[in-house]
Amino acid sequence: MDVFTLILWALRLGFLLLIYAFFFFVARALWRDLRTGVAGSGQALARLLVMASVEGRPESGASIPLDAVNSMGRDVNNSIVIDDSFASSEHALLTFRGRAWYVEDRGSTNGTWLNGQRVEGLWPLGYGDEIQIGQVRMRLDRPRTEGT
Amino acid sequence: MTAVAQGLNRVGIRPRLRRRELGLLILVSVALTVGWMSYVSFRDGRLELSDTSILTTYIVALFVIHALFVISGRRMDEVLFPTAAMLAGISVLMMQRLPQDLVTQSVGGRDLGLGELQLAWILFGFGLLAAIALLVRSDGWLRRYKYTWAAAGIFLLLLVFVFGDVTGGARLTLHIGPISGQPSELLKVILVVFLAGYLAENRTVLARASTKIGPLRLPPLPYLLPMLAMWGIALAIVILQSDLGAALLYFLVFLGLLYVATRRISYVVLGMGMFLVGGFVLYELVPRVQERIDIWLNPWADAQGAGYQIIRGLYAYGRGGILGTGIGAGLPQVGTVQSIPAIQTDFIFAGISEELGMLGALAVLGLYIVIAERGFRIAAFAVDDFRALLATGLTLVIVVQAAIIAGGNLRVVPLTGITLPLVSYGGSSLLVNGAVIGLLLALSDKGIEQPVPGARRGLVSRMGSRFRRRPKLSGGMDAARP
Repeated sequence: MDVFTLILWALRLGFLLLIYAFFFFVARALWRDLRTGVAGSGQALARLLVMASVEGRPESGASIPLDAVNSMGRDVNNSIVIDDSFASSEHALLTFRGRAWYVEDRGSTNGTWLNGQRVEGLWPLGYGDEIQIGQVRMRLDRPRTEGT
Repeated sequence: MTAVAQGLNRVGIRPRLRRRELGLLILVSVALTVGWMSYVSFRDGRLELSDTSILTTYIVALFVIHALFVISGRRMDEVLFPTAAMLAGISVLMMQRLPQDLVTQSVGGRDLGLGELQLAWILFGFGLLAAIALLVRSDGWLRRYKYTWAAAGIFLLLLVFVFGDVTGGARLTLHIGPISGQPSELLKVILVVFLAGYLAENRTVLARASTKIGPLRLPPLPYLLPMLAMWGIALAIVILQSDLGAALLYFLVFLGLLYVATRRISYVVLGMGMFLVGGFVLYELVPRVQERIDIWLNPWADAQGAGYQIIRGLYAYGRGGILGTGIGAGLPQVGTVQSIPAIQTDFIFAGISEELGMLGALAVLGLYIVIAERGFRIAAFAVDDFRALLATGLTLVIVVQAAIIAGGNLRVVPLTGITLPLVSYGGSSLLVNGAVIGLLLALSDKGIEQPVPGARRGLVSRMGSRFRRRPKLSGGMDAARP
């Protein structure tokens, strides 16, 4: 086998090797992105934007960060206190299950409303949907993404 | 250098270094140069690096685009462009290596061969990519006019039905004056834009089951209509245009988006069921479908006729083996007979597998997986449903198309004639896929204009007419803006 054939082999394999080197660096970049994604997950899962609140508790315009389980109502032990005359003390539950949000009514007097329909049982909802409890209207929004 | 930076600052542009992209692009350039050297040395029988004008033009173009990205200071994804550059670079190599007279065109008195034409189309496609990535600052023009887009798409489809010319047994090509193109490539993007808009608006209703048929829980019936319409359009494309690849691509992308929007596996099951029924009916009715299925199941039955292309492809994999024959050492042409018909378009994957081997072919598939990861990542970090679905759809269009044609080449699924995105020869395909990558880059920019809050119109909010009269909103609405 002469030298030129060997060089051809080296070039051929070199090309393949370089394509895989490209992969290695891409994979490293992807891995780093994933790591930073995990590290940044301390932020809220979503937020509730108060669109309108007649009595001002919570204030309209407020943005409430959400955990996986959020109880809502007039009682101070709820994670989101809705101090409205038409809200029950244990009014509704807003939960994040798997990858979707669900809202359920906890037997409130005046009901929980999703986009104008009264919630019966466990209803799924998406970003942009509006929940009404008493005279408080709130919209589910994506968490605020800060800079970088 | 600082003076230049200050000057740019004054007009509101802050350059931002993109180190990761630069590093990856350098690696792409080195790899392509080594590939080129291996090709030229084999061709001429001695170690050399000559005829580099095409390679240098391509590499210079890559770095010009990189420089433009840096100067613009947009915070876009840094992996997507080098990945596309690697795919298109492999394409430049292969097209230069294939017999140049497969495609010829005379432009301004010069006769251009396959390699030069492909380079020109790739440069146009990347130009479009850069223009869209740099200039698209808002998605309002896509979001707002989705029914206009749908109408334009259907109009385009009708134009092809009426005026289209037959290419490779399918009615695909449209000639308008001196310009000719394949609108099915453009149509896939229009379809994604429309579906993203429609599903973003109605996904909550679609996800809520209210109709029950046996064990299946379905959305309210009016919302099923688009699904049926989509199915009908796919069937119509098959029957009237006999363009199986496009029909398959549209339907799979549609099902993918529907699943992403609603998380309901039952819709996918239902869609696949409809697809199977439709496929069975078409198999009985349309001879072309029947032929495609038959040669997929047994190409040897008609080895010199319908099965010829697939069988030549299979031989090519055998010749290539694991490491490949090396670029230039394969057998794309014996005498004047092409080894694999349509090797520069539909069967480029077989060509790559022969010369770069199984490892090279896996690398090409891996590059599409990288595009998928980046695209879905962009979708996952999107600020609202429309953008998330748009990014998902654009990614699916590229990845599903690559899967369909690579699978067809490998005799994993029935062969349908579509292009391998960013690699196959073809102007329409390269321009549209360049635009798709450009849009993904624009969507990945974290500084892109935020959607206007509360601008949700359409069926869902119309049903909630209780809320028609919106009270005046306080300053909180501005919170969504960075």
